[in-house]
Amino acid sequence: MMNIKNSMKVSVIAAIVLPMALNGQVRMTVPPQAEAIAIEGATIHTVTNGVIEGGTIIFNNGVITSIGANLEIPAGTRVVDGGGKHIYPGLIDAYSTVGISEIGAVGVSNDVNELGDFNPNVRADVAVNAESRHIGTSRSAGVLVAFSTPGGGLISGMSSALSLEGWSWEEMSMESSAALNVNWPNPNPRRFRGFGGRGGPQEPPPSYEEQVQALKNFFSEARAYRNAIAADEEVRTDSRYAAMVSVLDGKIPVVVAADGAAQINDAVTWALEEDVEIVIRGGADAIHVADRLVAHDIPVILTSTMAAPGRDYEGYDGAYTMPARLHEAGVRFAISGGSGSLYTNRLPWEAGVAVAFGLPEDEALKAVTINAAEFMGVADRVGSLEVGKQATFLITTGTPLDMTSDIEQSYIQGREIDMMDIQKFFFEKYMTKVMQYLRIVM
Amino acid sequence: MRPRLHQTSLFGLSLTLLIAGGLNAQQATRTQPVEGIRDNGTGYHALTNVRVVQAPGKVLDNATIVIRDGIIKEVSRDGEAPAGARIWDLSGHTVYPGFIDAHADLGMDAVPEGGDVGPTHWNPQVRAWFSTTANLQDDSQRRAALRSQGFGTALAVPGQGIFRGTGSVVNLGDAGVRERVLVPDMIQAIGFQRSFELGGSYPNSTMGTTALMKQTLMDADWYIRAWDAYESSGRSFLPPETSEALGALESVVQGGQPVVFETSSEEEYLRAHAIASEFGVQAWYRGSGQEYRLIDVLRDRRDPLIVPLDFPDAPDVTDPEAALNATLQDLRHWYLAPTSPAQLADAGIPFAITADGMSSINDFLPNLRIAVARGLSSDDALAALTTTPARWLGLSRSHGTIEEGKIANLLVSEGDLFTQDAEIRDVWVQGRVYDITRPAQIDPRGTWRITSTDEWGFDAILTLEGPVNRLRGQLEVAAGSTTRFDGALVNISSAEAVAETGRIEVRFDGEELGYQGTVLLAGSVRGDEFFGWTSLPNGADPSFSGSREDEYEGPERGAVAMNVPELDLPFIRPMMEYGVSSIPEQPDAVVVRNATIWTMGPQGRMENADLLIQNGEVVEVGMNLDAPRGSVEIDGTDKHVTPGLIDPHIHSGVSSVNESGFAIVPEVRMGDVVTHNNVWMYRQLAGGLTTAMIKHGSANPIGGENVIVKMRWGALPDQIEMDTDTRTVKFALGENPKRRQNRYPDTRMGTQEIIRDHFLAARDYERDWRSWEENQEGIPPRRDMRMEAILDILNQELLISSHGYRADEFLALVRLAEEFDFRVQTLQHGIEAYKIAPELAQSGVAAVVWSDWGGFKMEAYDATAYNARVLMEAGVTTSLHSDNSEIASRMNWEAGKLLRTGLTEEQALSTVTIQSARAIAIDDRVGSLEPGKDGDFVVWNGNPLSQFTRPEQTWLDGRRYFSIDEDMELRERIKDERSRLIQAVLSSQNGNGPRAGGE
Repeated sequence: MMNIKNSMKVSVIAAIVLPMALNGQVRMTVPPQAEAIAIEGATIHTVTNGVIEGGTIIFNNGVITSIGANLEIPAGTRVVDGGGKHIYPGLIDAYSTVGISEIGAVGVSNDVNELGDFNPNVRADVAVNAESRHIGTSRSAGVLVAFSTPGGGLISGMSSALSLEGWSWEEMSMESSAALNVNWPNPNPRRFRGFGGRGGPQEPPPSYEEQVQALKNFFSEARAYRNAIAADEEVRTDSRYAAMVSVLDGKIPVVVAADGAAQINDAVTWALEEDVEIVIRGGADAIHVADRLVAHDIPVILTSTMAAPGRDYEGYDGAYTMPARLHEAGVRFAISGGSGSLYTNRLPWEAGVAVAFGLPEDEALKAVTINAAEFMGVADRVGSLEVGKQATFLITTGTPLDMTSDIEQSYIQGREIDMMDIQKFFFEKYMTKVMQYLRIVM
Repeated sequence: MRPRLHQTSLFGLSLTLLIAGGLNAQQATRTQPVEGIRDNGTGYHALTNVRVVQAPGKVLDNATIVIRDGIIKEVSRDGEAPAGARIWDLSGHTVYPGFIDAHADLGMDAVPEGGDVGPTHWNPQVRAWFSTTANLQDDSQRRAALRSQGFGTALAVPGQGIFRGTGSVVNLGDAGVRERVLVPDMIQAIGFQRSFELGGSYPNSTMGTTALMKQTLMDADWYIRAWDAYESSGRSFLPPETSEALGALESVVQGGQPVVFETSSEEEYLRAHAIASEFGVQAWYRGSGQEYRLIDVLRDRRDPLIVPLDFPDAPDVTDPEAALNATLQDLRHWYLAPTSPAQLADAGIPFAITADGMSSINDFLPNLRIAVARGLSSDDALAALTTTPARWLGLSRSHGTIEEGKIANLLVSEGDLFTQDAEIRDVWVQGRVYDITRPAQIDPRGTWRITSTDEWGFDAILTLEGPVNRLRGQLEVAAGSTTRFDGALVNISSAEAVAETGRIEVRFDGEELGYQGTVLLAGSVRGDEFFGWTSLPNGADPSFSGSREDEYEGPERGAVAMNVPELDLPFIRPMMEYGVSSIPEQPDAVVVRNATIWTMGPQGRMENADLLIQNGEVVEVGMNLDAPRGSVEIDGTDKHVTPGLIDPHIHSGVSSVNESGFAIVPEVRMGDVVTHNNVWMYRQLAGGLTTAMIKHGSANPIGGENVIVKMRWGALPDQIEMDTDTRTVKFALGENPKRRQNRYPDTRMGTQEIIRDHFLAARDYERDWRSWEENQEGIPPRRDMRMEAILDILNQELLISSHGYRADEFLALVRLAEEFDFRVQTLQHGIEAYKIAPELAQSGVAAVVWSDWGGFKMEAYDATAYNARVLMEAGVTTSLHSDNSEIASRMNWEAGKLLRTGLTEEQALSTVTIQSARAIAIDDRVGSLEPGKDGDFVVWNGNPLSQFTRPEQTWLDGRRYFSIDEDMELRERIKDERSRLIQAVLSSQNGNGPRAGGE
């Protein structure tokens, strides 16, 4: 593989030696970790236990076995020099469609929105295309864990936690039903025009109140179903209600997509009544509801920090400063890629922009690692560098949240992954063409 | 050639006829025979005891107006009504000149089924041949609606299409069609909104509409010359085409006939004015209600301006979450739109007021009163409805004032017309009266003593008050009058008065009088005498009589109550969030000291350096520069300074983006549709962007001409356009241009062929012109904007900037251009540009690409973030672009992403500065900090390529257009204005009426 960084400059182009071993291979899946590895002499950003200068991280069978400064390295451990490097936990995108959406405008390549309003039983992982091009580019950006998430309807289905390395979705799936996704209805829909389109007169869509009521009814029915099963009553099976049991038992969170202040407020009221564990996703107006979110310790997954403000009067940096303002208000939050699989690779910038606009850098890092892991129920495995957690991390020249640094190597569950991706593959292939051309013209 | 009406003589003739003939034209002056028995009133009237507002500011009290045969014969104070005249005692009333609507939609131009016939125009939106006189219809409902608001005369303006035909002045009486026209077909009407009923696919954008307007005016000029050439040759060659539409525009292009543009925004006014100026046509403007935003522009203009009174409803602020969504732009518009007429008057700008453009014509008088309450003087309001439109319509001799010899168009109002509760009773049109609201012929309000004369009898006091049509009051039986009803007090909650017959009818519960059931009471009023009878629940029907003791004295009528508070809202441009009172001033000299300066020129990146700007241009970058005394100094310690960023591909800042009506539309210009009401511009400035190319959309193989703008926030559109000779045109390849159904092309093959065919056509066009210029034989060729644009493309004066994704389509276009001996300037998007980097380098084509976009559609699937890197390695001029209003506000970070592909920092930044300027051929002015270039620079708080860095100041032309400090001040001002305006909305809604300015 060619060393991309500083491999050449425009003026010294002829000095390049390109690898000629291109064989159409874009990215190879590597086998599980087979030997203990120690990376020593690096600056280790544990996220949960501070920064260890000149630290060592040792991991075996995919799990971190020890971490600290001046560690004794057990015999038989392969030692890698991490001098001058930084080690960060792999970034986590709490809201993505990686693997289930390939080409935006090509409908058949998208498996995100199932038909119907209530689909709690659909799970993203079973539809994940392990060969998706976006997996490689996400990994190259430092995103090693992503929550692939269905959309549409009032209840979209289950997000699945994916570890972005494996031959199949089955290998990649860390948690098939990680969180239930609810789309909170819009209290201010665009004015309905019954005679607007070519289809002639149309039924008005259900009102906000009707949609909220439908959601409540669904939860009530699901609860009745759970109680009947628990009481050993004979009931006809319903796969949708069955899928709700872990939600109603409080084992997995309900991620509620809500941006407006009224939406967030109403969603919180609803969740408190339903007694479910709620996470707000979107949260454009979360700052207006901050006190209530703090009072009930409700976290927020921000989906658009690298964004324009939603209202003309808001500051140009209204979205950029949102994380800093929420932090100051004491609201717990994660930052997500926000725009689906195609741009999961932009996750670091979504967090980095918050730093430019007032958020402490370590908080920004938490927002794309441990916070996301905690809200989505996988903090026992990923999100920080701790003994017992998965060896899923990045070796970099600096913070992964800034483009001035580079990610040199990533490990996922202890596997030293192939850093090639489709974009680098095209680079190498067409640089070969450029080289051939330059030799002719020179 | 089509025979045309001779405007001038007909105009004179029609007036003479009217003045001589009057209302009841006799057989001598009317062509239609009378069938049956003639119906001749005397036509002789005297309006007496009336207050007459003869003209704005000229009032006669207690006057008499004598009308005979439709003409005002006399207006005099205390005048005697002549014997023989019908007397109209109008004491308590005020008479005004009848209103004149200078832009009325009388709805006489419905599109015929099956479309227009005859040699019309190829484009169904061009109906200049349409005559409102020739198509005058029985539009009695619309006339009655206008009369109900006080109008007696109107310019009937056709409303279908873009060139809509001619407007005629008509009276709004109910005479037959032959007696309604005052001035036939005096003005051509043009509008920016096409009529979908007329069909046709082109134009479907504002710039397409503008191009069609220009081309049609040019064609009208050609049409004259073509027919002249044909006629003067003795018809020795084939005739030119016949076009009713172009023929009808002859006197417009020759300057004889005015044109009225219907505008729906401040921008449309500016666009219409630009077209009128370019073609030297006499222009009138139907305004938009946004004139208060252009007072400075309008101040010195004298073209007829006719403004509507369409005042907006208040934004929804009913709950805190709704209030959160109320924009300052909407709040300001709600508050200020009703002040627009007053602002025009205060600035001395001539204007007329029209009832056109309102959602309901019944809002006209209420809104007129709001305009008066919000500062328009009654005299100015009256002038805008009478003398001013009369002057413009050429009716000053006959209309607009109440004077002897003028036509008897009058408006009779009970009360001061410009105050609350005043009602128009009658409107007189050419000496004939039309009832508008029926006056109460009786007014039973007051205090009556009534007594019953039979054995049942009583003595009681009846009081009636409230509006005549909804009386209320009480009946109080005097103590001691009878034993039975002694002291009874009955409340009357509703009573009805029948005006024509002088009856009042009351019903009330009999309980107070000791009956079980309802008491019915009817009375006839004549003056102060009263006779009535009752029907009692016990079957008795006693009668009674009475007389009025006291007149009713209601609350005094006054000016319309202001129920919005007086707010001080300074003029800002644009009239929205972050608008400013003026563009920033330009200091003579500006010096940045001790900064890291990325010159992006030969000097490279310099540490601890100084930058000197004078008179808006870069003078020098160097160490410890001498700056003139009084220079504005910026401490650049720990700061970075770069040239202003450039984005060669955005779509914000224009009113429309795609002209997709035809596949080939290089005649349309984005420069025609720039808007300054664009908050993105401010945000882009805040992100360090100073220059951008706003591109036409991608629906066409050959799209429109792009416009290069500088982010001069606070300026008008023509000042936003960059002063450069560089012109570029949009091409589009791949999926988008073939997406439109039933329009060639459907394939990438066809896309290349339709481009080639038009290149060839332009060469043919050039040859035709050359041969005509040499021989002067035959029909002179016409100027074709589309062909001339393509010639400019072939001559590389209009540079190709082509949208596309795949390598194949780009390579084909590059080769096609080479076949015609020119060069494509730049490819844009270029997802696969890296695949043909060597070919682009060889042909000298610049590439404008994304940092990391891709995958969103099939042709974007082979995207790579290394695109720019490969292109630069091959020696292609390479720029980034956003194609996105939002991303254009953070192009430094887009460039920063390239660091991850191995570019150096300066290489990365060059893709949003100097290379961007080169890509669109404006590097002589911008893109680097070199002597002589524009003083456009950004001060950053760190390395501009870092995700952790933000811009602090953005300078453009040596003016500071953005700084984080000033931004904070603007936010405070916005917050303050929004909260005051939201309070104003709430207080107006707590008051009497839902509308701005109260009622």
